[in-house]
Amino acid sequence: MGHAKWIGIDAGSTTCKAVAVGEDGALAAWRIEPAHPVIEDQAARLVEELRSEAGAGAELPVVATGYGRKLVRCASRNITEITCHARGVFRALGQPGMLVDIGGQDTKVIVIGAGGRALDFMMNDKCAAGTGRFLEHSAARLSVAIEDLGPRALASTGEESISSTCTVFAESEIISLVAHGAKVDAILLGLHRSLISRVVAMVHSVGLRTPLMLSGGVAKNPAARAMLEQATGQTVHLPEYPQLMGAYGAALVGLESGAGAADKQA
Amino acid sequence: MLTIPTRADVVRQARERGERVAAVLPIHYPRALLRAHGFQPMEVWGPPRVSVVEGNAHFQAYTCGIVRNATSFLMQGGLDAADVVVVPHTCDALQGMASVLKDFIKPRQPVATIYLPRAVRAVDRGFLAAELRRLAQQLAEIYGLRPSDAELLAAIEREDEADRELRFLAEHRGDIALGDRDYFTLLRAREFLPAESFVEVARSAPRGQAPGGGVPLMISGIVPEPMELFDHINAMGAHVVADDLACCSRRLYRPSGASDPFQRMADSLIDAPLDPTRGSPILERARNVSRRIAECGAKGLLVYDVKFCEPELFDVPLLRKHLTAEGISMLHVEFDMTGSIAQQTLTRIEAFVEMLQ
Amino acid sequence: MNPKDYLAYTLGYQLLGKSYLSWQRHSDERAIKALRPAADDPLNPPLVGTARMKELMSRHYLEGRYANGVRKVAWVTSGAPIEVLRALDFFLIYPENHAALCGARRHAEGLCVEAENAGYSRDICSYARTDIGSALSGRTPMGKLPRPDLLLCCTNICQTVLYWYRVLAAHFNVPLYVVDAPFLYDKASDHQLDYVLEQIEGLIPVAEKVAGKRVSRERLQEIMEQGKSCAELWLTIMDRAQHRPSPITAFDGFINMGPIVDLRGEPETFAFYTELLGEIDRRIDNGVGAIRNERKRVLWDNLPVWYKIGKLSRHLGAKGVNVVVSTYTYAWGELAPMMDAADPMRSSARVYLHPILNRSTGDKLRSMREMVAKFQLDGAILHSDRSCKPYSLGQIDQRDNLANDLEVPAVLLEADHSDPRVYSDEQADARLDAFIETMEAA
Repeated sequence: MGHAKWIGIDAGSTTCKAVAVGEDGALAAWRIEPAHPVIEDQAARLVEELRSEAGAGAELPVVATGYGRKLVRCASRNITEITCHARGVFRALGQPGMLVDIGGQDTKVIVIGAGGRALDFMMNDKCAAGTGRFLEHSAARLSVAIEDLGPRALASTGEESISSTCTVFAESEIISLVAHGAKVDAILLGLHRSLISRVVAMVHSVGLRTPLMLSGGVAKNPAARAMLEQATGQTVHLPEYPQLMGAYGAALVGLESGAGAADKQA
Repeated sequence: MLTIPTRADVVRQARERGERVAAVLPIHYPRALLRAHGFQPMEVWGPPRVSVVEGNAHFQAYTCGIVRNATSFLMQGGLDAADVVVVPHTCDALQGMASVLKDFIKPRQPVATIYLPRAVRAVDRGFLAAELRRLAQQLAEIYGLRPSDAELLAAIEREDEADRELRFLAEHRGDIALGDRDYFTLLRAREFLPAESFVEVARSAPRGQAPGGGVPLMISGIVPEPMELFDHINAMGAHVVADDLACCSRRLYRPSGASDPFQRMADSLIDAPLDPTRGSPILERARNVSRRIAECGAKGLLVYDVKFCEPELFDVPLLRKHLTAEGISMLHVEFDMTGSIAQQTLTRIEAFVEMLQ
Repeated sequence: MNPKDYLAYTLGYQLLGKSYLSWQRHSDERAIKALRPAADDPLNPPLVGTARMKELMSRHYLEGRYANGVRKVAWVTSGAPIEVLRALDFFLIYPENHAALCGARRHAEGLCVEAENAGYSRDICSYARTDIGSALSGRTPMGKLPRPDLLLCCTNICQTVLYWYRVLAAHFNVPLYVVDAPFLYDKASDHQLDYVLEQIEGLIPVAEKVAGKRVSRERLQEIMEQGKSCAELWLTIMDRAQHRPSPITAFDGFINMGPIVDLRGEPETFAFYTELLGEIDRRIDNGVGAIRNERKRVLWDNLPVWYKIGKLSRHLGAKGVNVVVSTYTYAWGELAPMMDAADPMRSSARVYLHPILNRSTGDKLRSMREMVAKFQLDGAILHSDRSCKPYSLGQIDQRDNLANDLEVPAVLLEADHSDPRVYSDEQADARLDAFIETMEAA
C-alpha cells in the first residue's frame, strides 16, 4: 500500500467503513463490514489492519465520522458525515453539485460547493421510510434477497402503488396486496417508487442542483438509480465506491488539515 | 459565579410576603397584573424532564410537548404550590389545554385564561385592556385583593424596570462575561423571579468580554430545552451572540405611555417584538431577524423548535428564503420535549457549524 | 374594467359555461335516476339533488376562472363574516372548500408535496398545504383560481388560518383583514362581542376601498336575512336525520355542504336546498333510508376524511351502520336561531363568535350528548384529525365521557381530512369493526 497518509473511519449504524488515503488523496486501501455493537473495538481493529498493511510502524492519524464517531478513541478529530460525504464525493467525481446519500438508516441530501464544501443539507434520519431500511424490511417480509430487490423491480411489467409513507403501515399494505394476489415484483416496484419519491421530495426541498450524485448502500440498487433519474430528469452519477464516501471524506479532511495526530478538536 | 434563587426559594419567599403563586403557561401575559393581585407568576415551559403518561392520556401525539409535559407535570403535583393556573391563548394547542383543564381534568386550582389579540390596531388595544380588566376581576375573586390604580401603576413600573434590565442583557450579550448556558439561564430567570429580585440578579451579572471563539450564531424558537443544548453548541465550536426566542427576546416589552394602567399593560403586550404567535406579518419578521443578525455579526440562524409548533412552522419557509437572499444560512431543527437531545439533532447542528466554519 | 376580461367572462361563463353545466346537470340527474344498485349494495340510490349541487359548485369555480378584471375577488375563511363582502358584490373563494374538493378528488397529495418541497412542514394543516401548494404551483383541479384583491381571515375556527393567510398575504401581496374572535371557554362576554362587532364594522371601509364603492345598509340587511333563511333550511335538512331510518347520512351532508359554505344566502342556494328537502321528505314518506338496512345509528365528530367518504360509507353501510349526523355539518345550521335580522350587526358579531370550533371542549361534549338523545344514537365516531387541533384536542376526554358516563360506544379514528398518506385502510377498518362489535354487544 505505501504512501498512505491518513485514515478515515465512518462508524455507521449498519456498516463500519475504514479508508486509507495517500498523499495525493487517492484511495489506498479500505475495509467495510457490518457494524458491531462495540464501535470502539471494531474501529480500533480496522485502524490496526490498515496501519499494518501500510507498513510496519506507520502511525497513520485517524479522522472519524458517522453515527458512532465520538466513540472512535483513536481518532484525533471527529466530523459529521455531512461534511465528510461532501468532501469524499467531490474528490471522487471531481465536481460540485448535489449528493443524495441513501443509507441503511438515514438519507442525506447535500449541496456541494467549490472545494467539496457542504453549502446546505437535509437529513431524514428519524423515520425509516425514505431510507434503505424501508426496502430491507419490506424485502424480508416478501422473502426477497436484498441484492435481488432492484433487478426484480426493474424487470416488473406492472406496479402496485404503495400509498402509506410509514414503514409499519406499508407492511400492512403489502400483506393486504399479497393476500389479494398482487405480484411480488410489482409490489417491489411500488416500494422503490415510494422510497424514491420521498428522496426526491427532499431534493426539491433543498432545491435541485446539478450534477446529481448518488452514494450510500442503496446506490448499488439499479432500480433506485434508474428511478431517481426518471423522477428528476437528471443523469445520476455514481462514484466507484458509493459506500465509502464518508470514510474517504473523513480521511481527506485529515489530509487537508495537514496536522498530525496531536491535533484534537475541542 | 452568579447566584440565582431557585424556584423553591421563590415560592417560600412569596409566601413569606403573603403572596400566592400563579403557574403561567407560555407566552405573553401581564406580569404586573398578577403581582398587583397578590400572585407571583412562575412560568411553566414544559418542563422537559417529566413522564408524559398523563399528558398523553388527554392529548393526541400530534400535540406539542409543552402542552403534554405541562399537563403531566400538573397532574403529578408539580404545580401544587400554585393557587391559580394561567393559560394565555397563544395557539390552538394551548387553547385545547386550557379548555380540557377547565372542562375535564378540573385541577384543584382555578384556571384563568387571557385572550391575546392577533393584530396591532386600536380595536385590539381596547379589547385587550377590557380583557385584562376581566382577568383582574377573576384574580380578585380568587384571592380577594383589589389593587388601586396607584398600586397597579407601581407594579407596572417594577416590571418595566426588570424589563429594562432584561433588555440591557439581551442587547449587550458581548459584554456579559457568562458562557451561553449561564447567560440564558440568567435571562430565563425572568420566568420565575419577582421583578425586584431579577433586577438585583441581572445587575450582578459579571461584565466583561463574553467568552466566544468559533462560529457566532443567533438562536430562534420557542424555548431552548434542555439547556444542555448550549453546552453542545459551544463544544461544537460555536457560540450564541443573540436570540429571537419566545421565552427571551420576543418578550422585551417596552413601557407604554397610557395613563390608565390596564391600557398601559395592554399596550406593552400589543407592542411586544414581532412574534408569529401574535400574528406578526412574516416578511416584517424576516426583515427584523436579518437586520438583527447583521447587527450582531452572527453567521447563521439556528431555529430550534419544539415539534408540532404551527406558528413557527408556517414562518420557516419564507424566513429561510429571505435569509438566503441576504446570504445568511439557516438551520431548522425540531425536538421533542424530553430531557435529552437526540443524536440526530446534534449531528445536524454540528454539520451546520462545520458548514459555517 | 378590461373589455377583454368582460368579454371572456360573458362568453365563457355567462353564456357558454352556465348552459353547459346546466346540460351536464340534467344528464347527471338522469344517470342517478337510472341507477339500479346491485342487490347486495348496502346503500340506497344517492340523492338526485347532488347533481344540482355539482352544478352550483362547478358554476362557482367556473365563474372564478373569469372573475379577475370583472369582479373584485376575496379569499375568505369558512367562518368569516362575509356579508359585508357580498353586499359589495365581491366574488368569494373559500380556500378550505377548494382544498376539500382537492382532497375528495385525490389531488391534495400532489399539491401538499408542492408545499412541502417549498419547506412547509407535513405537521401543518393539510388544507393549508394544499392551498399553498396550489398557489405556488398554479395547479388546481378547478382549472384556475382567481387572484384575490383582499384576504379576510376570521380566527373563529382556528389560529392556523391566521398563519396560513399571512403566507397568502406575503405571496399575493394584497391586504389581509383579520377578524379576531376570542375563544369562548365560557359564556360570551360583552367585551368579546364588542370586539368582534367593532372588527366587522372596521371591515366595511377596508372592503369599500378595495371594491371602489359604498355598501348599502339595506343590501347588507337583505343579505343577512337571506343567510339566516339558508342556515335555517340547512338545519331543517340535518334534523330530518331524526327519522328512522334516516333518509340521509352525514356523508350526504359532507357531499352537499358546498353551497351552504360557499354560496350561503344566494337565492339559488335556497332553491337548491328547498328541492333537496323535498326529495328527502319523499324518501321519508316512502320509508326509504339512506342505507338499506339501518341497524345502528351513529354520529361523526370532526371534519370528514374527504378521500374516504365513499369507502367509509360503504364499509359502515354494509354492517348496517348509518352515520346519521355530524357536528361538522351541523355547525352551518345550529346558529340560525342566533341570527337576528332586526339587529344585523350585533347579532352577526354574536353568530361569528359562536361556531362550534370557537366553543369549549366541554360545550362540544354537551352538543354531542344532545345529539345522542335527539337522533337516538347508538355510537359515535370521533375522527382524530391530525390537521385540526381545535377540533381534535379534547376528543380523548369526550370519547371517554360518551363511552363511560353516557355508556354510548365511541371510537377515535386517527386520520387526516385531506392527506391520504397518513391513512391506513387496514388500521382504520380494524378499529371501526371493533367499534361496531362493541355497539352490537351493548
